[in-house]
Amino acid sequence: MTLAATGPWSGVYTKRSLVPVGRLAVGIALIVVWQLGTNTMGREWLPSPLDTLARIWQLAASGELARDTLVTFGEAAAGLILGGAAGAVLPFILRLSPRLMTALDPLISAAFGMPKLALAPLFILWFGIGITTKVVFVASIVFFLLFYNGLAGILSIDPRLVAMLRVAGASEWVITREIVWNTTKPFLFSGLKIALPRALSGAVVGEFIAADAGLGWYIQNARSLNDTTGVLAGAVIVTVLVMVVNAILQRVQARSLAWRPIARDMTV
Amino acid sequence: MSSAVPMLEVKGLAKRFPPRSGQAESPWILADLSFHVADQEFLTMVGPSGAGKSTLLNIIAQVDGANEGKIFFRGELIETANGSALHPGWNCQFGYVTQDDNLLPWRTMIDNVTLPLKLQGRFDAAARKRVDELLHATHLTGFERYYPHELSGGMRKRASLIRTLAYDPPIILMDEPFSAVDAQTRTQLQQDLLRLWNLGRKTIVFVTHDIAEAIALGDRVLVLSKSPAKIVADHRIDIKRPRDLGNLYKLEGFGDIFESVRRDLQ
Ligand SMILES: Nc1ncnc2c1ncn2[C@@H]1O[C@H](COP(=O)(O)OP(=O)(O)O)[C@@H](O)[C@H]1O
Ligand SMILES: [Mg+2]
Repeated sequence: MTLAATGPWSGVYTKRSLVPVGRLAVGIALIVVWQLGTNTMGREWLPSPLDTLARIWQLAASGELARDTLVTFGEAAAGLILGGAAGAVLPFILRLSPRLMTALDPLISAAFGMPKLALAPLFILWFGIGITTKVVFVASIVFFLLFYNGLAGILSIDPRLVAMLRVAGASEWVITREIVWNTTKPFLFSGLKIALPRALSGAVVGEFIAADAGLGWYIQNARSLNDTTGVLAGAVIVTVLVMVVNAILQRVQARSLAWRPIARDMTV
Repeated sequence: MSSAVPMLEVKGLAKRFPPRSGQAESPWILADLSFHVADQEFLTMVGPSGAGKSTLLNIIAQVDGANEGKIFFRGELIETANGSALHPGWNCQFGYVTQDDNLLPWRTMIDNVTLPLKLQGRFDAAARKRVDELLHATHLTGFERYYPHELSGGMRKRASLIRTLAYDPPIILMDEPFSAVDAQTRTQLQQDLLRLWNLGRKTIVFVTHDIAEAIALGDRVLVLSKSPAKIVADHRIDIKRPRDLGNLYKLEGFGDIFESVRRDLQ
């Protein structure tokens, strides 16, 4: 490729339309490598892409796919909403009381550092093996992701904007709604972006430990039956779920951050 | 024009910032600063960069507190040092055009300009008309839906200026509002400002480091010393209005005042 074709002045149109082509190429390459792996390792060790796809098809036809996906998705969503809301709101409250912030800081850091998986036996003891345990488990992961991102947003507020708006007659509520919220929003989106896949994988891992339904339960069950195709099919379904949810989030984010000079093309 | 009670009176103002950690004492930025502004007066203050001009306006706008001194608005004590809580803008009586444009980046230009009016519940038909006139006078018509990052520096500056003019506070504090724009635009903006001031006859406290600007705009020029800022001279400017700002040196008496202010500043 010549320099001119890749330089800043090459056509934007050409560049954009190359992106999906590139993605497709990477996808095909991955599947080829997968198939090569199957050929060298054997089907029992690494089921082929076609077998995996057949299994997913079968699960879809029997209704198991819909049922297990819904259970896992429900757990992840509930945990995300509960933990996410708490984690997102807390920085707004702490902003109003620096003293509370200093008091809570070491506690939150300690709780953040605690491995949630190690608490799983306690969660099961308290909440049983039903949905609640997984929701709490997901919430305990998501909470910190949104809390620390929200806090970074609060700390990046421009005090000059706050002063300007106060002079113009803004109440504390208006400051929160106008400046604190708008400054923090991009940070919360970044937090959400990390939290979404974590919530889904959190629900799956929770189901590994104790469950009677869900994609994690399906994977765990397949594993205990030495059904590698089932394990791989479950993993692929979870991955696709994460990708779909991410794409939706990206849409929402692009719309609500339209004012930002770079937001429209930024994918981080 | 001068009534018995000044519009704004500043008495014995002193300010030092809290010491940085590890340092004993921070220096005084303002020390025993006193002056007053008459109703409808255009007061300019000129001082070297770093003298404490922004600090002074922050204190008057009650964005920041003083260590000593008092501030009166129409004879009423509105701010005392080290005591009562601050009331930024004193219930929308003080407009403040800050040194940076401080536009909200997530709001369009027109939303930025009308936000104070909306916050104060005063965005009625008359206000709408006024905003339209101001947009027109500052050549911002047509850019209403642009976000601040899509405007030039001069346009942002003008938007921040009319954001304050639009809600029409009795006193407007201005902190080097034109320092960031090119000379051509600046003369235009100064002319616009004088025309708007003449229409509405506000009280203005205009701070700058530019001697020519201070003389060209003001009824009176106060000269500030280097920090800690004190008032070292008080010049009444009797140059007739309307003034042609494109040709300052042709203005009657401009050269003499310029020379003496320059000497005061040394
Ligand atoms: N928040 C602050 N903390 C400590 N020092 C400050 C602060 N703001 C301004 N200063 C100091 O006060 C002095 C005057 O600043 P400023 O009022 O911005 O000057 P001017 O507007 O006249 O250029 C400077 O020496 C500056 O370092
Ligand atoms: Mg300044």
